[in-house]
Amino acid sequence: MTKKVALWIFLVGTISSSALFLWLTWDTHRQVEFLANVDKLSDDVVAGKRVFEKYNCNDCHTILGFGAYYAPDMTKVVKRIGVDGIRYRVKSPEKAFANSSRKMPQQNLTDDEIEKLIAFFTWVGEIDNNDWPPQDSAKRLTRSEEVMVASAGLSPGAAVYQRRGCMNCHSLQGKGGSVGPALDKVGKRLKQAEIRRYIRDPKAVNAKAIMPAQKDLSNKELDEVARFLANLK
Amino acid sequence: MTYQSQRISHWYFKAALLLFALQVVLGLWLAINYSYTLPQSIVNVFSFATARAIHTNLLVLWMLLGFMGGTYYIVPEETQSEIYSPAIAWFQLIALVVTGVVAIVGFVFGWTQGRPLLEIPRPLDAVVVIGALLFLFNVGMTMFKANRWTVVQGTLLGGLLFLALLYLFGIPFYKNVVIDWYYWWWVIHLWVEGAWELVTGAILAFILIKTTGVDRHVVEKWLYVEIGLFLFTGIVGTGHHYYWIGAPKYWLWFGGIFSALEPLPILLMMIDTIMHVKKRKLEIKNPFTFTLAVGCAVLHMIGAGVLGLLHTLPQINYYTHGSQVTVAHGHLAFYGAYALLNFLVFYYAMPKLKGIEVYNDTKGKIAFWTMSSAMSLMAVTFGIAGVVQSYVERMLGMGYMTAQHYMRLWFEVTLVLGIFFFIGMLFMVYDLFTLKPAKVKK
Repeated sequence: MTKKVALWIFLVGTISSSALFLWLTWDTHRQVEFLANVDKLSDDVVAGKRVFEKYNCNDCHTILGFGAYYAPDMTKVVKRIGVDGIRYRVKSPEKAFANSSRKMPQQNLTDDEIEKLIAFFTWVGEIDNNDWPPQDSAKRLTRSEEVMVASAGLSPGAAVYQRRGCMNCHSLQGKGGSVGPALDKVGKRLKQAEIRRYIRDPKAVNAKAIMPAQKDLSNKELDEVARFLANLK
Repeated sequence: MTYQSQRISHWYFKAALLLFALQVVLGLWLAINYSYTLPQSIVNVFSFATARAIHTNLLVLWMLLGFMGGTYYIVPEETQSEIYSPAIAWFQLIALVVTGVVAIVGFVFGWTQGRPLLEIPRPLDAVVVIGALLFLFNVGMTMFKANRWTVVQGTLLGGLLFLALLYLFGIPFYKNVVIDWYYWWWVIHLWVEGAWELVTGAILAFILIKTTGVDRHVVEKWLYVEIGLFLFTGIVGTGHHYYWIGAPKYWLWFGGIFSALEPLPILLMMIDTIMHVKKRKLEIKNPFTFTLAVGCAVLHMIGAGVLGLLHTLPQINYYTHGSQVTVAHGHLAFYGAYALLNFLVFYYAMPKLKGIEVYNDTKGKIAFWTMSSAMSLMAVTFGIAGVVQSYVERMLGMGYMTAQHYMRLWFEVTLVLGIFFFIGMLFMVYDLFTLKPAKVKK
């Protein structure tokens, strides 16, 4: 191989890749209009993005998987913890993470800023991004019932508890979140039917509850997880 | 050192070393954040986010200073002329360091653009752009005036131009977060897997020509092939960041295939570095310089090539994206490819700038082996934490903090390794500030 051939390898490699890349960039711009629902990209959403940047949220959290890995991903946060869950955590992180081994700073956001942030997260949650992240995947959740059936001999309720992300907020034997109360002895306080009713619609039982209503659970899943929890004494 | 204006590079290197030391200190602090529970009062005042912004911006700043210093050292020798304007070089060094310090102090008080790695606020971006333009003008004018073109020079200038151009895509405010990330990667990915590789290729080629005495034509021929492959695979390879951001599905194919080829140029670079060192025609004066060159080539391959390849395919990346696996890859890739390249430049140029022909390399060796072992093991501990996270959080669907509890042990081990890295760093910084000639063997 001569130096001239080497030069040609360089030129052809660079130019072909650049041309392909620029063409794909043009096409991506075109398709993102639909994939990211640009028609719903309101002023509030943009203001929310500015709030997200103003408080440097992205240097602890990831969004669409990018950022720092010190705190949970924000892509599907609305679906995962609900808008009340977001309000509570951002407004009073010192309370929400009082028992957590990792803290979130109190940055004194105004109520208006929090609402804008929620608008931003709501819009981001609807981006068609190939079903990422897996822990919040809709496909994965429909599979949770299969798992429940598969582990029926052991404890289907425990499977629901694990698959449906209860431990994002609650803990058992010290493992799990600290936003909601630990559930180790919940069966002492509440009966199975009460637990069932609470999970389906917390506000109907306690107007001040911050737990989001679990509307995705099937009746069968709800029965099983309530039975599992009622037996924790 | 043959040209007076090369002296400026010495100050670039010294500034880079001090900022590197500070970066490592911040790294230790981040590891403490992961390993222990800090009280709310500390978190409110100096959050992980602030410390991380400082850690990553220092990385970029000291490496760019190292590249610029390296350029000011190499260009006079390649063009066989003095630098066009030493005054500009001085001004630009001061401007960049002052901007960096202002930015870092600003982060502590919440003055930030709020986008990872690009936190420097927009008014300061303007200063960075002016500094970059002056730098390019100065380097370009030196080359044009001398009019003695070599492939090394061309690659260096091309890489630096590309680097500066890409920075511009990180400045605007994008309303749409998808488009924002799309162009964010033009800066980050096309820097480290494009522009910076060109600069690295050029610098490595220069040092190999000078130290091994291998024919310039042979080295430059391979340089063409390497940078051709880097850009061919790296440009479309940007697509491996577009899998999960709301971009079209075809990026899974383009990103997957092109990025699977990305280790090839790195492999080629590793092989030809080792070959050039083996076939050297000159007598070895400073064997440690070769240790650094080969170490850089090998860890570049493992950190960037192998660890990158491991999770670049969409089927795997679906579970590892945005986990500690990325952290493992990021740390060893930056260390292997760019930190070691900078150390190579420091140990090649700084003795010469002090008029030392053969330097005493005892401390340097201790530093190199301590830092390289610690960082390689950190890639392992971060990697294990990442696999645990991918399994517990992503596959089993358990909560984020549940997964973090299982990972904590590995963060604690990382902290210990970080302390070793810190000690190695102290050895190197001290050594480079107090270089001494080797004692003549009798």
